[in-house]
Amino acid sequence: MSPRREAEGDLQRVLALVPWLSTNRGATKTEIAARFGVPLDQLERDLALIMMVGVPPYSPGDYIDIDYEGDTVDVSFAPYFTRPLRLTAAEGFALLAAGRALLAVPGSDEQGPLATALDKLEAVLGVAEVVVDFAAPDHLGAVRDAAENGDRIEIEYWSAGRDALTTRRIDPGPPFFALGEWYTDAYDHLREEPRMFRVDRIRAVRGTDESFPPVPAGPPSAVYSPRRDDQRVTLELPASASWIAEDLPAESVDELPEGGQRVVLAVSETAWLERLLLRAGPDARVIEPAESVGIGPAAARRLLARYEGT
Amino acid sequence: MNDAPDRRERLLNLLAALLESRHGLTRDEIVTNISLGYPAAPESARKAFERDKASLRAMEVPVREENDNNVFRYRVDPKEYYLPDLDLSDTELESLHVAVTAIGLGSGSGEGAGALMKLGGLEGTGGMPVAELPLVDSLAPLFDASRQQSVVGFEYRGRPRRIEPWGLTSKFGRWYVVGQDLDASEMRVFRADRIEGEVVAEEPGAFTVPPDFRADAYLADQPWEYGAGSAMPVRVRIDAGYEVDLAGQLNPETPIERAADGSVIVELSVVNLGGLRSFVLGYLDHAEVLSPPEARAAITDWLHAIAQPTA
Repeated sequence: MSPRREAEGDLQRVLALVPWLSTNRGATKTEIAARFGVPLDQLERDLALIMMVGVPPYSPGDYIDIDYEGDTVDVSFAPYFTRPLRLTAAEGFALLAAGRALLAVPGSDEQGPLATALDKLEAVLGVAEVVVDFAAPDHLGAVRDAAENGDRIEIEYWSAGRDALTTRRIDPGPPFFALGEWYTDAYDHLREEPRMFRVDRIRAVRGTDESFPPVPAGPPSAVYSPRRDDQRVTLELPASASWIAEDLPAESVDELPEGGQRVVLAVSETAWLERLLLRAGPDARVIEPAESVGIGPAAARRLLARYEGT
Repeated sequence: MNDAPDRRERLLNLLAALLESRHGLTRDEIVTNISLGYPAAPESARKAFERDKASLRAMEVPVREENDNNVFRYRVDPKEYYLPDLDLSDTELESLHVAVTAIGLGSGSGEGAGALMKLGGLEGTGGMPVAELPLVDSLAPLFDASRQQSVVGFEYRGRPRRIEPWGLTSKFGRWYVVGQDLDASEMRVFRADRIEGEVVAEEPGAFTVPPDFRADAYLADQPWEYGAGSAMPVRVRIDAGYEVDLAGQLNPETPIERAADGSVIVELSVVNLGGLRSFVLGYLDHAEVLSPPEARAAITDWLHAIAQPTA
């Protein structure tokens, strides 16, 4: 961080500290440091800085007074910085977005303290409600409950990549939303390995009488992590298929001089690639590997057979 | 830069002085005030003051600059500076802390934490991650413009646009701005992540948003509903067992019949054939457009073009 940005960051914190300290007199340094997310030595420097602030004519009554008793801090007099600096647009929007998003998670308390806090915030900022809508797949609630209670469940699952329906027992982790979908990071008893499942592709959930020790939610593992043995496929795509590079984790994207893009994707399942190529249309081509070049045309002929009864 | 601690002190003292001054201070008054500690050489002092002013403005401190008989006076109006009291209870603050920790906003998460500091710091322990909803750079200026009712200009899909940003909304993980497009003279929806370059805001107070406006009402639920044309009913058959993610996807009023063989026939109201194609092809050979003929042809023509690549 540049010295200038660093100075601004320290200033932001100090400007937030002063009003809090003067309305919460007698808090301990440990408490304050935790509340403002700084190490103790940084807090000491912040407090030292606050004591240096005064206004003209800089007589004793023009400085902020801080008294210490042991570990407690008492700001007895702060004639200015009595309120925090108003929120920046980015801060206000981030807070509203996070709050409205959490309220939109199915199962949230729509009348609870978060809802009332957001109403107050929107009133002060003078903005209409920022509406956040997550998809709410049918079995999200059942998966969440099973994850919380440690209930092993049996699911019918549609694997889009292989285009197949399977039944399996899983120990689901707490569902989380990323890249536009709900996922559960589960232990899959069919394959006997951890696996990520998309909740909207779970067709049915049945209880079992088995249980597992529920894991507390942690930072979710990456939703999409290409395996080392996934095949790399190089595509040339027209401008109309730019959504592929925007929406999918491509390994590389190069703009082509004549328009369009050359994109390298990790592909583990053929059906996934077929779906992609059919949607991208006639101007999309597989360049490499050679054995994948015919995948799109072959899939198109298979679908045509259904329409034309041949 | 070893002067950083001094500079912090100077910035704080400058801000305090600007807040306390009713009539504003001239640059000379500021840089010659010994307690503020500006360099003695006039040119260095001028540069240092300009740098401090820029730092305060980067923090969105409203530094006003008033021309008083060709002398600029600087001040910060406490009414513009101070955050009004939100009167948040401890449980409300705690729930906002949970929200900021549970919802990953990408680069926006730091901004959310910054907002919490101003509201009184981190109350409680926060929450476990529940969702990722990354913010993009265009959102904060759009939000500000929407709040101030400023027309904005930006580049979108290779063309400059001018819109009245009425509101922001997020659906299925993406952010959108909804507003009146001033060139097209109609309401339009723009994906925030496809806005290129800067969002440039014009004067505040340029439009009024109707009180019953909801940004989410302008987002079509389905790709085949996008567009301005008239809708036609299209029947699609989906094979038994493959209607998996259908119930969560379709509007509850969509007519759905189950055939004797277990397959499902849905009747979609289609405006956009491209959107229909994308939906149907997602099922590979487990779905088929049954009627009308022009919708069937839209799929088969497309498939023929893919099946017989030219050269």
